Amino acid sequence: MPLFRLTLTTLFRRKAWAVCALLVLGMPFVLPQLSSGTENPALLKPALAQAAWCMAWLSAVFWGFFAAARIGEKNSRSGIGEYFHSSGLSATRQLLEIWAALMVFVAPLGIGAATVCSLAASPAAADERSMWIATNFQYGLLFILVVAPLIALAVAVASRFGSLTGFLVSAGLTTYGLYGVGYMKLLLSIEGNPLLSWLWSASPHYHFADPTERLRYKLGAIEWSQFPLLLAYFAGIFLLYTAISRLLFRVKAA
Amino acid sequence: MSDPSPQLQLSPGLTIGYTVPLARASEAISLGRGTHFLLGRNGRGKTTLLRTVARTIRELEGQLTRHGRMRYVPEDLSFDEELNAKSIFKALIPAPRLQAALDLARRIELDVRKPYGKLSTGNRRKTNLIVAEFSLDPDEPNILLLDEPFSGLDAYARQQFEEIWAESSGNTLRLVSCHPDYDSMEMPSVLVIQGDRILHETGDGQTWSQLKSQLN
Repeated sequence: MPLFRLTLTTLFRRKAWAVCALLVLGMPFVLPQLSSGTENPALLKPALAQAAWCMAWLSAVFWGFFAAARIGEKNSRSGIGEYFHSSGLSATRQLLEIWAALMVFVAPLGIGAATVCSLAASPAAADERSMWIATNFQYGLLFILVVAPLIALAVAVASRFGSLTGFLVSAGLTTYGLYGVGYMKLLLSIEGNPLLSWLWSASPHYHFADPTERLRYKLGAIEWSQFPLLLAYFAGIFLLYTAISRLLFRVKAA
Repeated sequence: MSDPSPQLQLSPGLTIGYTVPLARASEAISLGRGTHFLLGRNGRGKTTLLRTVARTIRELEGQLTRHGRMRYVPEDLSFDEELNAKSIFKALIPAPRLQAALDLARRIELDVRKPYGKLSTGNRRKTNLIVAEFSLDPDEPNILLLDEPFSGLDAYARQQFEEIWAESSGNTLRLVSCHPDYDSMEMPSVLVIQGDRILHETGDGQTWSQLKSQLN
């Protein structure tokens, strides 16, 4: 796995991961102190949970996708992709090795947020605590399942169209999936346009993977009977984006 | 262990180019182990031929047969600017050969702790060549394609690499594109792109001064 090792070393040496680690593991304890949570102690733990997941999403989008796009572009434009391709490392394998190295750094963002929430923001009551841990476990899984194919997409798009495009496509899809589809639903309730309705259905509903509302209002974990459906939905998007990524990925810029 | 003798065969009629043909082999060419130089004027298709052999682009006509593990080192190969040579070697060179690579780096005065982005052109080239040379499998036939490996390289480093080439010529075929810089440079086996033809010139004692007239 030479390209995996090279990408892993590159990411480690660039040190931006340390800033993200600080954001996810440290900022959740600082940010609630700046909020109205200090006036009402009951709000402190929900604020901490909200801050932890916000930091994880922001780090994944602004660092994860940016790093993925940068590496995708570098691989195709610096001769590295060509060098490995000539040595027998196929384009599929190159995409997989780059993606795997990036996930070594990005997946811990979700795990870190879930751990901070579970250890530092758990409710005192035993039954609420177990529910809280289950919720964070579920959202940790969903976070990784949502971010993973977007990382591959950023790498692939950047290898063909440049790093700015690669970053904007993945960041744009995430923002749209988290917030945009909500606005579209609002629009649909005002105007029942069939095209808009189809677009809404075909949109990636990433807001299902955002746990902040559920944690803030202690709504409990997703029903375990419903959870596999949600996993299957995001696994479907994962497969679709992975296929698109492979089609777009190039080892050598044109 | 497989047959350790690498081979590269260009069929008669092999045509290279992107969309428009650039050059064509008029007769069958067979290259075995050792160093083979690739000469041609600018824009005649040296890099295109190397990329065709490396399977980065397809031949327009004819066939190429390769026997050996391939590696193509493009002229513009560059690593991440923050990485130093030691990290690059650790990531890409098999552990048993890492120390030998670091020893060579020391001999040719390559600072392995300096970030790649701060290295001079020659030192970047040294890093790329060390990666390519020490990634070769000593127990397998290898084909190493080098595009302008000497540009920016000092004479001592160049001599060191030529010694490595001589030592490992038993299981390695090297096809090296270059613009020779002294007349007495010995070139016993040369692929010449002359006009739109690819020719194979061989001869003991053949030098650059005898070959350069063919390029004009």
